[in-house]
Amino acid sequence: MSVARTDKDRGLNRLLRMPSFGVRMMLPALLLLAALSIFPFLFIVWMSFNEVSPIGGLSFEWVGLENWVNLFADPAVRSSWMISAIYFVATVGLEMFLGIAVALLIHEVVWGKNLALSLFLMPIFIAPVMVGLLGRFLVDPTYGLYAWVLNATGIFTKNILGSGESALVAVILMDVWEWTPLVTIIVLAGLSSMPDEVIQAARVDGASYWQRLRYIVMPLISGVVIVALLVRSMDAIRFFDIIFITTNGGPADATKIIPIRLYETAFRFFDLGYAAAIGLGMLAFSIVIANLFLRILKAQGLAR
Amino acid sequence: MGKKGERKAMRPSNGLTRREFLTITGAGLAGASLLGISGCGQEGPSGGAAGGDVWKQFKGTTLQFISENTPPTAAIAANLKPFKELTGIDVKITQIELGALVEKVALDFGAGEGQYQIIYADPYQVLAPYYQGLAELNAFNEDDSLPSIPKGTGDFIPTQLDAAGKFESEEELYALAYDAPTMIWMYRKDLFEKYGPQMEQDLGFDPKPSDSSTWDQYYQIAEWFNDNANEVKYGTGHQAKQYDSLMCDFSNILWAYGGDYFENGVEVGRLGSEDPGPAQLDQPKALEAAEFYNKLLSIAHPGSTTWDWNGVDEAFRAGELAMTPNWHEFAAGIETSDLGGKVGYTRLPTGPARVADMYGGTGIGINSGAPEDEQRAAWLFLVWATSPQTQRMGLFSEEGGGTPTRQSVYDMPEVQKAKTRPSDAPNMLTADAVFKAWESQNIGLRPKIQQWNECDTIIFTELSKMLAADKSPEQAMQDAKESFDRATGAA
Repeated sequence: MSVARTDKDRGLNRLLRMPSFGVRMMLPALLLLAALSIFPFLFIVWMSFNEVSPIGGLSFEWVGLENWVNLFADPAVRSSWMISAIYFVATVGLEMFLGIAVALLIHEVVWGKNLALSLFLMPIFIAPVMVGLLGRFLVDPTYGLYAWVLNATGIFTKNILGSGESALVAVILMDVWEWTPLVTIIVLAGLSSMPDEVIQAARVDGASYWQRLRYIVMPLISGVVIVALLVRSMDAIRFFDIIFITTNGGPADATKIIPIRLYETAFRFFDLGYAAAIGLGMLAFSIVIANLFLRILKAQGLAR
Repeated sequence: MGKKGERKAMRPSNGLTRREFLTITGAGLAGASLLGISGCGQEGPSGGAAGGDVWKQFKGTTLQFISENTPPTAAIAANLKPFKELTGIDVKITQIELGALVEKVALDFGAGEGQYQIIYADPYQVLAPYYQGLAELNAFNEDDSLPSIPKGTGDFIPTQLDAAGKFESEEELYALAYDAPTMIWMYRKDLFEKYGPQMEQDLGFDPKPSDSSTWDQYYQIAEWFNDNANEVKYGTGHQAKQYDSLMCDFSNILWAYGGDYFENGVEVGRLGSEDPGPAQLDQPKALEAAEFYNKLLSIAHPGSTTWDWNGVDEAFRAGELAMTPNWHEFAAGIETSDLGGKVGYTRLPTGPARVADMYGGTGIGINSGAPEDEQRAAWLFLVWATSPQTQRMGLFSEEGGGTPTRQSVYDMPEVQKAKTRPSDAPNMLTADAVFKAWESQNIGLRPKIQQWNECDTIIFTELSKMLAADKSPEQAMQDAKESFDRATGAA
């Protein structure tokens, strides 16, 4: 019995003992992190098991798994995930392809390289809300330049934002226009850091441009390409502004991606418990995607 | 309405100066009641406003007023100095888009902080769901130590006070009617004059928009313009974007055809209800309305499915449309555009059941979570901001101004004069149309229920699927009904 008490006392002493110097140094940062991230996260998890309503003062009513069951059973949310998937693949795919292509092109430019790069980078500096307003203006059937050109040439005579397919294509292209330069600049950084002598040696050996690209350049920049992919993927999952401004998720819900659905649930219906579940679903998806890319980086020895 | 961005119309520069305002309102008369207007009160308690001190008792207080960015608030924000001089109260005004306002107000109510003492209380998105967060105003109006409503509540247009200020009870008042946008029929008078005889010959009826015009005739006129007039691209255009505007546009026709969202829809719209019962959107009259709306939109400008009220106004002003249903306050912008003098305004067409013109007005209320003194100070602002003279000032303001909610303002000689061109207050050109629209049998009031935000989204999403994704009207209305019932708990 006395032995047991001694062990217990020892455990208590260890618990009450002053934390080590390292822990004490980290404590302010840990507390800040807890205040900013951990507590809100845990709160949101708790909210997702409640019906939360701001009507008549913030109220919580325990509903168990109801919100989570709805998340998987609600056809409207499923539809939004589908549209998000299409949107994700289309925007990230196009941005990566075009971004790499333009980076390779600009890398080869000898005269006016800085000017070309500056002009190409301009869309990044425009707020997404402004891109949405600009896009809406350009495709407006009354005075939109693009709408007029497409109509006059007979390429597309319908109302661009008025039908589901063309509206989705339009918002995808607006996103691609804005964020392709980001991929370009990241890839350009990778291209600039390539050792010149390797390329020169390949040239001396008679390798064509495509051979150099396939066997030397792409392997050398694959790390930065995956970083660009990771950055754009994280952004694309939580994309919101342009669609909110241009179509508000319409027409016929054709552009209602999951962040728009989340906003609507949280701040139009004030169904905060269900919104918490949707938000946590988005978070889980983001973590899966991020881990996927990190594994690829690790496999290539580019990350620890 | 959700509304009304483009209503910040230019106005002739005859807005009141501060001195004129003070003279008119009586603030310059030492010790006199400013707005109590003793002897003029119709319903308001007498004596409450007597003495200048009642206006100064909260001197040094700062109040926060959160409002949608509407012309009345823009006009008030530009003319706050008289209120400061009268009361010594500072009012900070936050003007934002309605959706953001609802978010902030809901979160403020939820937190119980009373951060915003004065609230732009949209009847459907703020009043109905959060009326418990608003102070009951009769208590202030009957308080002898506070000024009462000048000319009493009876001076407000009755349907507007009910719709904007009350919830479920005839007696309790949560907001004072502050603005009054209403949907009316806007048409190119010049084109109707030019083509009238030919149209009459072709269609077999007098096409001139009037109180006897029907929605069916509206359709025929629109189709005639599509086929015969070169001045405009299309006969009609609509605010049919997947948004609140689509619900507004459709509701006019729903009611005109005898349909409604809920049983006893008129009362659910006027006073509101916490338990509106099952939705009625699957009923034959509602279905007939949806079928007609679908048919009408099939010949409307194709841009309609991407336009809200601003979009359709821009298209109308750009000369693309011969006519459109839109909020009457857009008249101010139209009259100062190239179309000035060429546009006519009248009540919306009638349907098989009745005429219905969607009302989109709003009230202002007091946050019951604010400290008592701040609530009382906020009452002074409410009385001042909705007083006849402040509304008159707003009507003629260069900032826009919206339209008054009080009968006495419309009775003023200078306001009567503005009903005819050339007008110093172009919105008054629509006065005849909106006064008919505000009659209790004509006003279109959407359901004032706590779940309206969700129901609104349901109906405009289903309508958008009908218009842009070929969903049948029957299926759209059936799906809307089922979703309404789930949202309201009637399922």
